[in-house]
Amino acid sequence: MFKKILIANRGEIAIRVVRACREMGIRSVAVFSEADRRALHVRYSDEAHFIGPSPASESYLVIDKIIDVARKSDAEAIHPGYGFLAENPRFADRCEKEKIKLIGPSAYAMRTMGSKTLARKTVQAAGVPVVPGTVEPIASEEEVLRVAREIGFPVMLKATAGGGGKGLRLVREEEELRSSLRMAKSEAKSAFSDDSVYVEKYIENPRHVEIQILGDGHGNYVHLFERECSIQRRHQKVIEESPSVIVTPAMRAAMGKVAIEAARAVKYEGAGTCEFLVDRNRNFFFLEMNTRLQVEHPVTERVTGVDIVKEQILVAAGEKLSIRQDNVSQAGHAIECRIYAEDPDRNFFPCPGLITSLRTPGGPGVRDDSGVYEGFEIPIYYDPIISKLVAWGKDRTEAIARMKRALTEYVVTGVKTTIPFHIRVMNNRHFIEGNFDTDFIDKVFFKEEQERELKHGDVAVITAAIQLFLGERKRAMAQKSVEGEGQVSMWKYSTRPGIRKLG
Amino acid sequence: MSYVGTIGEKEVKIGVQEAGVGRYRVTIDGQEHMVDACQVMSTVWSVLYGTTSFEVDVQGKDEEFEVLISGDCYKFTLMNEQRKALMRAGGKGSVGKAMLTSPMPGKVVKLLVAEGEEVKADQGVIVVEAMKMENELKTAVTGKVKEIFVKEGEIVESGAKLLLVE
Repeated sequence: MFKKILIANRGEIAIRVVRACREMGIRSVAVFSEADRRALHVRYSDEAHFIGPSPASESYLVIDKIIDVARKSDAEAIHPGYGFLAENPRFADRCEKEKIKLIGPSAYAMRTMGSKTLARKTVQAAGVPVVPGTVEPIASEEEVLRVAREIGFPVMLKATAGGGGKGLRLVREEEELRSSLRMAKSEAKSAFSDDSVYVEKYIENPRHVEIQILGDGHGNYVHLFERECSIQRRHQKVIEESPSVIVTPAMRAAMGKVAIEAARAVKYEGAGTCEFLVDRNRNFFFLEMNTRLQVEHPVTERVTGVDIVKEQILVAAGEKLSIRQDNVSQAGHAIECRIYAEDPDRNFFPCPGLITSLRTPGGPGVRDDSGVYEGFEIPIYYDPIISKLVAWGKDRTEAIARMKRALTEYVVTGVKTTIPFHIRVMNNRHFIEGNFDTDFIDKVFFKEEQERELKHGDVAVITAAIQLFLGERKRAMAQKSVEGEGQVSMWKYSTRPGIRKLG
Repeated sequence: MSYVGTIGEKEVKIGVQEAGVGRYRVTIDGQEHMVDACQVMSTVWSVLYGTTSFEVDVQGKDEEFEVLISGDCYKFTLMNEQRKALMRAGGKGSVGKAMLTSPMPGKVVKLLVAEGEEVKADQGVIVVEAMKMENELKTAVTGKVKEIFVKEGEIVESGAKLLLVE
């Protein structure tokens, strides 16, 4: 087993990995930028190394700097977390060259799954259902038209090198095809300097369901069932749960099986996730494979009892998976809410800043993977995630009730957070019924929210009025003491409960 | 003390009196409410309305309030009656402020207008980046860009003056 692991990441995910290391008796090495000297991952780890200026492109993303720290600190392995260098095959190549074990799949697996067309081709050959469409980039307009007719409208044109919604065009009818193709190509050209596109059947109102898999270097694979990730805003997951209300036992077994086949096709090692789109008739289609630890992995950990990060470390050290398919099962229901420093009442505007007070939830069935503390200033340079709150219950109803309870216990002041948004989702009828797709937040939820009547306006106004009243009185008293008997001890007012910290 | 609140379109009159330690008699348009309130963490209040317990997070600057209760956000303005009267007497001066400030700390990525340029209300004038997201900020008023206080590439604090439109 490794003696020391470098964690090439920051925030909550770096802390998650440090926790696994500590439980396994492995020393952890953190890296930090200028903005992160006071960050929690630096305080949690056994060693910490400075790697440069605040922008990630000058610190967390610089391969040379990470490798340099690994050498200096004698770390035998690097855990990349998610984001930053986690799915960068060049980083994987470099680690291999330096004989430092990267905790994750091979550069070959990353490259194959990182290319949309190559991934499609590879998994299709392994018998995994994919969204009907082309595997190769399409050369001519005529060819696009032929394929589109064959698979039937609506179709989606996608940039081969795509990402972030660029070079993406929905075509509902044949007449729109030519002009959409031209636009998709020119967008792809300017965004990725590669104008090749491919065409896929457009799945209307899909749900996003993914399968967690684990593989070791000895040919063993297990899947850890599904996660439902359809609650998204602007195509980013915000709430995940396991199990999914739409997945039947037969479907679960089938999805698990094909996910393992996809992994086997690239000799996948470590933790990975196959994402699927599920249509209204419960047909599922491979979307992509994420070759890293997912943000939402705690949901699976909570229902299966498997520590995914420890399994990653185990197989990276050359050992076998500690579990077999026939001894894992799903127990109860888990939900995760991603808590961001964003203002849900202003279109999720980012809100970096100082956390002036913090109270985290506790009690039965609650897990809080946080990356902050009271007095910490959330930097402007990185993802504004504060924490991932996970609630577990014996069934979905209890999990939702627990999540709602835990969210109302969670207090973060100084910055706006998405906690209020999550409470509202937990109260939404469609969410409670399990009736939603990937458009739910943007198209249904916000509309319903606008029509909902708020109940405690009086209490809100009363409290604000009391705050104003006490603020004014405090100022008046301070004035009086200056005019009157001269200096009053600064401790006089500060010790009275109820009027502290005002004004 | 008397206050005037504006909730949506509606104006309400609010009175606050202390009625014992940590207890207050609050009237809203003549209707009396007895509450026990104490500030427990920076902006968070524990409020007992009768015996019903609420956690109330009071945020906002000056007279603009945003209050969170059980995940719901209540937005309204509230100010001292005398101040309100003064403002009314002062007329339009304070209405339609044209100073654009940064709503968050971040980096000025792009200026979309130049000094002297005519702008319309709701027009995007500056792009500020925070946490990997670019945010286009809009001017609230129609007029001419009088002064720009920042340069592209500059790091700004929350509340920093960005530009003035008149």
